[in-house]
Amino acid sequence: MGPLIPNDIISHEWNYIIAILIGIAFGYILEASGFSSSRKLAGVFYGYDFVVLKVFFTAALVSIIGILYMDYLGYLDFNLLYIHPTYLWGAIIGGIIMGLGFVSGGFCPGTSLCGVAIGKIDAWVFVGGILIGIFFFSEFYTLFEPLYNGSFDGYVTLMDSFGVDPYWFVFGFTILAIVSFYIADLVRKRVKKVFYN
Amino acid sequence: MINRKLAKVLSFRYKILALVFIVLAGGLVLLPKYEKHEGIKPEKLLGNAMSSERYISSDELAHKIINQDPSFLLIDVRDEESYSKYSLPNSVNIPLEKLLEEDSESYLNQDGFDVILFSNDNFYSDQAWLLCNRLEYKNLRVLEGGINTWFTTVIKPVEPTENQPASDFELYSFRKAASMYFGVAYPDQTKADPPPKKKAPKKIVPVKKKKKLPVEGGC
Repeated sequence: MGPLIPNDIISHEWNYIIAILIGIAFGYILEASGFSSSRKLAGVFYGYDFVVLKVFFTAALVSIIGILYMDYLGYLDFNLLYIHPTYLWGAIIGGIIMGLGFVSGGFCPGTSLCGVAIGKIDAWVFVGGILIGIFFFSEFYTLFEPLYNGSFDGYVTLMDSFGVDPYWFVFGFTILAIVSFYIADLVRKRVKKVFYN
Repeated sequence: MINRKLAKVLSFRYKILALVFIVLAGGLVLLPKYEKHEGIKPEKLLGNAMSSERYISSDELAHKIINQDPSFLLIDVRDEESYSKYSLPNSVNIPLEKLLEEDSESYLNQDGFDVILFSNDNFYSDQAWLLCNRLEYKNLRVLEGGINTWFTTVIKPVEPTENQPASDFELYSFRKAASMYFGVAYPDQTKADPPPKKKAPKKIVPVKKKKKLPVEGGC
């Protein structure tokens, strides 16, 4: 049956409309749960707030478990889902740069736009930085191109590249998540509390 | 008033949620595994196999070729030797054993053309049809009777006897015309070249050129 759009149960024209609706809902929930504060994100790195880690880890788990159950029951064809292509070194270096941006700016690209929407000055500066970065990258694209398009590994998932049974992988991932939540809580209790809005 | 029992339960909420996660993920591991059927569903395959659309007759094919219909692709599934001896015009040779190779896929798995499979009869082409159908390739057809029928109908049509209906004669004349298109010569259809005409010597008629008259007056 699913996925709904590739199987033409919902026509392709709805793609963007649905994307906008989901985007609005996502932004609303980010803002409502306080993610538009840069201190919340920075808290993961300083150890006084692990909500971001917990939320995104849990979201990933809920979706992968849900997808696997639906795939098993035949509601969803796992093989038709879009898998983001892997450019290994580009991802590693990009990840490091993005992580630095996370710590120093206290936003991820999504939450920074939430911050912009509610008028946070640091978010405005952050988005300005993103735009400058995009400009810089585009202007020097020929320089970055071998890194950007190099070491292409195809549309692989962790399960493919490790050759693990997806069910066992998800089970291990769940245990890992719960252990990391527990450790995060221990760390949070030891670190001095920071109060912010 | 605070519901104490509820509060007591809720104080364990993270542990409960963690437990739910472990149970769900563990459930995935413990699920009985089964082999997934990839490709076409049996009912659909049966439907395709019984459909009259599955076959194309040699007459229809001849009609298409003669009218230079661009919408189909002829695939010869016999071996290379037979292909090099004789095949239908503009056909592509994909022997049955090479059907599932990567190079063949671009011919078979496309939406642009109708794929018409043929072999000497329809034995091998039916096998190819079945394999391609299981892979959910579209627009597949089989030449009914294969090249053998092609020969007995289009290339060498049998003349109907006098007591057969008029439609048979019409069909025969179509087939005869088609066979002529494919290069068969009939003695009654060949015209002897008319004897060459003698060229009459050209008469030369002198044409007097008009002398230009001197201009008279004018305004």
